[in-house]
This record gives sequence, C-alpha cells and structure tokens, in this order.
Amino acid sequence: MKDLIKIGIPSKGRLRKDVLNIFKKNKLKLISSRGDRDLIGSIKGKQNIEIIYLHAREIIEQLAGKSLDLGFSGLDLLKESEINIQNNIKVFKKYPYGQATLVVAIPTDFIDIFSMADLEEVAFEFKDKKKKRLRVATKYPNLTREFFYSKGVTQFSIVKSIGSTEIAPYTGSSEVITDITSTGSTLAANNLRIINDGYILKSELCMMVAKSSLQNKKLQRLAKLLSTKY
Amino acid sequence: MKLKNLSENILRSVKSKGFKYIDLPSVIEADHIVQRSGENFRKFIFSFIDQNGSELCLRPDLTIVSCLRYLENNLRGKEKIFYSGQAYRKSQNKKNSIIRNQVGFEILGSKDEKNDDKEIINTSLKALKNLKYTSGTLTIGNVEIFKLLISKLEIPARWKLRLLRHFWRDDYFNDLLSRLETNADIDPTEVAVDKKRYLNLLKKDPSTMIAGRSIGEILKRFDTKMKDPRRASKGKKVSAIIRSFLKIKCPINNAAKELNKFFKKNKINLVVDQKYFPISSNKVSKLNVMFSTSFGRQLEYYSGMVFKIDIKSNSKIVNCCAGGRYDGLISDLGSKKQVPAVGAAFNL
Repeated sequence: MKDLIKIGIPSKGRLRKDVLNIFKKNKLKLISSRGDRDLIGSIKGKQNIEIIYLHAREIIEQLAGKSLDLGFSGLDLLKESEINIQNNIKVFKKYPYGQATLVVAIPTDFIDIFSMADLEEVAFEFKDKKKKRLRVATKYPNLTREFFYSKGVTQFSIVKSIGSTEIAPYTGSSEVITDITSTGSTLAANNLRIINDGYILKSELCMMVAKSSLQNKKLQRLAKLLSTKY
Repeated sequence: MKLKNLSENILRSVKSKGFKYIDLPSVIEADHIVQRSGENFRKFIFSFIDQNGSELCLRPDLTIVSCLRYLENNLRGKEKIFYSGQAYRKSQNKKNSIIRNQVGFEILGSKDEKNDDKEIINTSLKALKNLKYTSGTLTIGNVEIFKLLISKLEIPARWKLRLLRHFWRDDYFNDLLSRLETNADIDPTEVAVDKKRYLNLLKKDPSTMIAGRSIGEILKRFDTKMKDPRRASKGKKVSAIIRSFLKIKCPINNAAKELNKFFKKNKINLVVDQKYFPISSNKVSKLNVMFSTSFGRQLEYYSGMVFKIDIKSNSKIVNCCAGGRYDGLISDLGSKKQVPAVGAAFNL
C-alpha cells in the first residue's frame, strides 16, 4: 500500500509499557493477530497503519533508513547514533516517561576522585606512570568520548560493553564506567558512585519521525494526536 | 603555478639544504594514534580492520608517521629528512578538504637544538621563495617559556600539571583558568562523608587492588589533595598573571625586553635573553616577524619553539607553512629515550 504508515514500538522493557499506555490514553487499540508475542500489528479501525515491534536501537536505525515513518525510542539512543542517522530524524515529542541519566561512575573506594577534573588527573597518571590508558566500559562510546573530552579527560580507551556494564571495574575489564541509570540503585548495589559532575545526558522517551515522512499529512495528524494526551 | 610544479620546487629547495628524501607508508596502525593522541582522535581518522582484526588507519599526519619510522627502524643519531604526500583527516567543517597535501622536513635525534630550530626556519624561508606573495607574517612562539612561567607560580603541583597538559586546548584551558579563580576544589561536606571510608581503607593492605588501582595509590592521592588544596584567593592572582602573559605579542626584536618587563612586574624569577629566539630581525623575506606567547597551542605535541608563516597572496591571507619542536613525540609513541625533533610542513 502506497500510503501505509509504519510505526516502530520497542518490543520489550519499560519503554514498551509507556508507549502502549500512550496509545491506550488516545483510545487507539493496538491489535496483533497472533497474540502478545506477535512482532507485527495494527491499530483497530486504521487500515493504513502498520505497527512493528522491535529493539529501541533498531527503531532509530530504521527511521533513518526510511523503513519506519514514526517510532518511539530513548533520547540517549538517538544521541549516541552516528551523525548521518541523527540528521535524518526529528524528535517530535519528548514524554515524561523513561527518564534516566547517562552518568560516569567509579568504584566507591576511589575516595580521591570527586570530580571529572580528578578523573582527568588519574587518567594522565595511568598514562605517565603505568604506561596504560584508563579504560572506560560503556554501551555509549560516542557520547562518552565527547563528554570525557569536553571535561579534559583525553587519555583513556573505550571498552565496548553490551550488558551488565556495572561489573566491569570488578572483573578487571575497566576502571571506570558510563551507564544509564534512573534511580542509581543498581550502581550503588555494585559499589559504584556517580562522579559529582559526571552527568552526560538526561534521557527520556521520545516520539521520533523520519524526516523523509514529515510532509505526510496523515502522519502529521497521528503524531499530533499522540503528543497531546499521554 | 600548478600544484605539482610548486611541490617539486619546494622539494628541490629543501633538498638543497642537505635533507634526505624518504618514503612513508600511507597506512599505519590506528593504535599508535589513539595511544598518543587519545580516544577522541578516532573522530578524525579514517580507520578500518584488516584480515587479522588489527585496526589500521590512513595517515592523519605525516610527522607522526615519520617519527614512527625513526622509532620502528631503531634509528639513532641525527637524521635530516624530507617527504611529501597526502594526509587524510575527517573534518567537522564541510568546507575543509579531507585530503591535505604536505611537504615536510625534519631534523631528528640531534642535540644541537638552537641551531636546528634556526635551520628549520631558514629552510622554510628558502622554500617560501617558490611562492608568490606580496607580504606576510612569520609568527614565532615558544611553549617552553609558558612551562617555565607555570613552574614559578604559587599553585598546587596538581594544578601546574593540569595547566601544562591543556595549554594546547584553548577552550578547555580558559575553563581551567575560570575554575582556578573561583571556588576551591575540595568540598568539605563530601570529605567528611568519605572520612569513614578513608579510615576503613587505611586498615587494609595498601597493595590490594581495586579496579586497576592499589589502595596505597588511592590513599596517597587523597592525602596529597587534602594537604595541598587550592585556595581561591591565590588562584585569582595566578589566573590574572597567566591571562596577561598570553596577551604578549610584539615584534621579535622586543621579545626578550617585553618578557623580562612582564616577569619583573609580576615578581617572577625568570630572565630571557634575546639570543634565545631563533631570529632577531623584524623583517625577513618580505615577512614581518612577530613573537606571540599564546601561539603554539594548536597541536598537543609541540614542546619548544613553534612558528607559522602566513602570506598575503591575491589579497587573501593564507597559512602556508607551520612547524616547531616536538621532543616528546617519539617517546610518546613508545621510545624509551626522549629523541629531540624539530620540523615543519608546507600545506599546499
């Protein structure tokens, strides 16, 4: 169908629940012919809309690649993506859901480190005295690199992490981490402390539109509807 | 003049000064760059993975490749070399080309530093004769004077090192100066909270490792910080001295006079002789020769004399040549010994 609108919704986790709620509040009933695990669905009474459930990171890539017209994902994931991807996506609405912060965390026993300026100093000590780089484990290499550099920490190397970043300092794979946290309790439970000025980015649930679909009138109406009631 | 001819003429001029031509590889291991310039340099390099999984990159700079050659071939003693070719670097500014054509020349491993500095500038001036221009400026700076000034200031050692490390990053350096002026860097409430943890750590074996650092190391740094805090009042004075130092700019024959006046006024125990500078005449080859204390901040690896030549050609001012001394570069790339190095490059 030529005027089919494709919408991406996170397939699991808190973001998924929040997005489903937004649809409910707007009296849009999501239906899946094969039950809850179905990864393709539609909206009752709207034939020209297809709902696709996929990973929040993939939603961003598919928006930029024009396979989705509208999608819901986290601001952190958008900002972490490459510049050509970001250039093809417009954030249409930020919701007060899925709020979390990307932070720099260190082992609580690093009592000599208060601020990023301290970390900068320790990073140079690693380079000069140990002839090593301070290692930072993260799922967000781009945002981390940029933030560290802006705070004067130029001597470090990134260790890419996919999950359980919090344990990296205690398994010998890094000294420091950056990770997304909403309450800080997982960090604290893993003996990590957020550096005073180590706040990289505040993230929240966003409705994003592919720039190539911005002119579509039907999509505009739907996007507006979904950004008034939530 | 066509680019090829121009480049050949410059090469000929350099060769006539006794430099030896060398070929440099176009592709190097990315690790060298990241180890030296830090993770953020990845933003600028074109890198890729080879069949063995090693990350390689196109050379972002010819100087680094030439220094790697000196290091990897275990060369010793003095070498006068020159090379030409393209360097490849990503640019945030769309107008900038990602390919830079360069002709570079260097003196490596020689201890006759003052004369070598002069020779590099003179070679640049000779090669410059191949370019058409009506007037221009030769700007000379010296990172060493800044280092000496910092060593004489009344601030904690940690802060001295920090200022030296970031001299070459204009914006961040200004942030540092602002921070130096304002609040002290230790928050008493937090220190109180950490006191308990501190006492706990004291009871443990100092060689115990926590996430790559020993307890002894953590405690030592904590103690140094507590005993040597930065005080806002002194910071303000020091910051003002640094700011006014960085404003000094004058014809080269006044450089020593201006600097000594500045040191005397600020009660800093330093004296500079005019012979310290590689040139004392205010005009060479249609160029005005200027001294500037803030010049030399563009590249991290400069360690002493720095210079650049801007020429006016067809009513446009263009930077055509830049260079300086980088004694720390070869050891940063992995040499156990410090190898003196000075060089310059023409951007075509």
